[in-house]
Amino acid sequence: MTARLALGLSRLMPLALLLAAWHAASSAGLLQRRVLPPFIDVMAALGGLIGSGEIVPHTLASLARAGTGFLVALVLGITLGLLMARIRVVERFVEPILLLVYPVPKPALIPLFMIWLGIGDFSKITVIALACLVPVVIASFNGARGVDEMLLWSARARGTSERALLWRVVLPAALPQIAAGVRTAIAVSIIVLVSSEFISSEAGLGYLIFSYGGVGADDAMLAVVIYLAMLGYLLDRLYVGLLRRFMAWHAFAH
Amino acid sequence: MPGPCLDLRAVAMRYGSGAGAVEALASIDLAIEENEFVTIVGPSGCGKSTLLYLVGGFLLPTSGSILLGGKPVTGPGPDRGIVFQRYSLFPWLSVRGNIAYGLDEKGTRRAERDRIVEELVRLVHLEGFEDRYPRELSGGMQQRVALAQTLACQPRILLMDEPFGALDAQTRRILQDELRRIWRRDTKTVLFVTHDVEEAVALGNRIVVMAARPGRVKEVFNRDFAVPEGGEFDANPAFTALKLRIWRSVKEEVEAARA
Repeated sequence: MTARLALGLSRLMPLALLLAAWHAASSAGLLQRRVLPPFIDVMAALGGLIGSGEIVPHTLASLARAGTGFLVALVLGITLGLLMARIRVVERFVEPILLLVYPVPKPALIPLFMIWLGIGDFSKITVIALACLVPVVIASFNGARGVDEMLLWSARARGTSERALLWRVVLPAALPQIAAGVRTAIAVSIIVLVSSEFISSEAGLGYLIFSYGGVGADDAMLAVVIYLAMLGYLLDRLYVGLLRRFMAWHAFAH
Repeated sequence: MPGPCLDLRAVAMRYGSGAGAVEALASIDLAIEENEFVTIVGPSGCGKSTLLYLVGGFLLPTSGSILLGGKPVTGPGPDRGIVFQRYSLFPWLSVRGNIAYGLDEKGTRRAERDRIVEELVRLVHLEGFEDRYPRELSGGMQQRVALAQTLACQPRILLMDEPFGALDAQTRRILQDELRRIWRRDTKTVLFVTHDVEEAVALGNRIVVMAARPGRVKEVFNRDFAVPEGGEFDANPAFTALKLRIWRSVKEEVEAARA
């Protein structure tokens, strides 16, 4: 137990050093306020945002957008990835589109989506879903493609029909890889969420960053950024914890 | 008089076509009677696994016919249970879930399923491991689960593709003993592929030696004496003598393949 605690603390060390350096540089006057506000001020702003409850409605608005986009990507991405791996026509049709979409920075599509889908939540969620879709499809496709032939034979010799094979064997066998793709998608959803909220929003963490930045409240702006980092970290830990619990049959590396 | 359980007639298998085609099997004729334990032994590349996959219905022969209980094999099915060297088990299912797999596919009622699973767990000595996942088991235990999983489907014939090939020598002997015990208990028809001559003699009532390039039946030996328990094979001079005869037959093929 103490060993685990020590390990946890040692992992926080680099971060603590970085923050200490930030604090020291500000105190010594090496770092001017207009370049980077003091760490203490940013923490105070963060405390104010959380303490006053101001950040709560923005967090909820953001999580609703990111969560909806992420869930759409999850369902569509896994289905598409599995079908691509099993049905030649689907692969031929989807692969070129996927390869084209892959390197496009999704936030760059936001203005276009706003023209098509309006400036409201729908266009934001669509961009988030599209961005999350890519890692999920690729992971599902690779996972399903990599399923050992013998495992499929084994299932067929135990009475599984050709149709049921996809859900009975291919999907569970691909789950470890899919799980890794989904983890990437969680991070992507936060990144694209913030970009999407920079433009024409009335609520959300991205909106908050943008509006504080606009009025020169750099400490509050940075406070929201740090808040987002913590939120992302927590979501990732939560996800990994859920995997460990519900996918105990697989030995995850981390 | 009933026909053989499994009947292979002029079965040939070629991979690919044109100049790059590989003739894996050339006209195999082999009949396996009900409750017979037949082992197939031969050098690597003699097509013994291919032969097993054809019987399993995973591959289709280029020519010839494969009849199971008089009916032609057209694809995989639970009437032929297969155990591979590995990858037979589903990593996401517990021992219990793996053994129950075929019963669930068949729609066996829950109470009946649980009873069968419990009986098979006892049969392969895995009491207390029911809730473990395959990755938590040793190689020998995994193969016991695979055997139980296959037996649960009540196949007409058991197909075994070097099932003990990845195990250490001691575990291998123990599992050989257990397989023989299970075979004697419910006398099943077994087709067992191995590259280990001793294993072939220890398990098979009939031992088929295959020749390579192209794969074909070279010689067939009958074992008409009992094999002692506990892996003390060499205690019986008849065992040693038969093993030697078969080894010489296989060795010729290994050398021919190397030449």
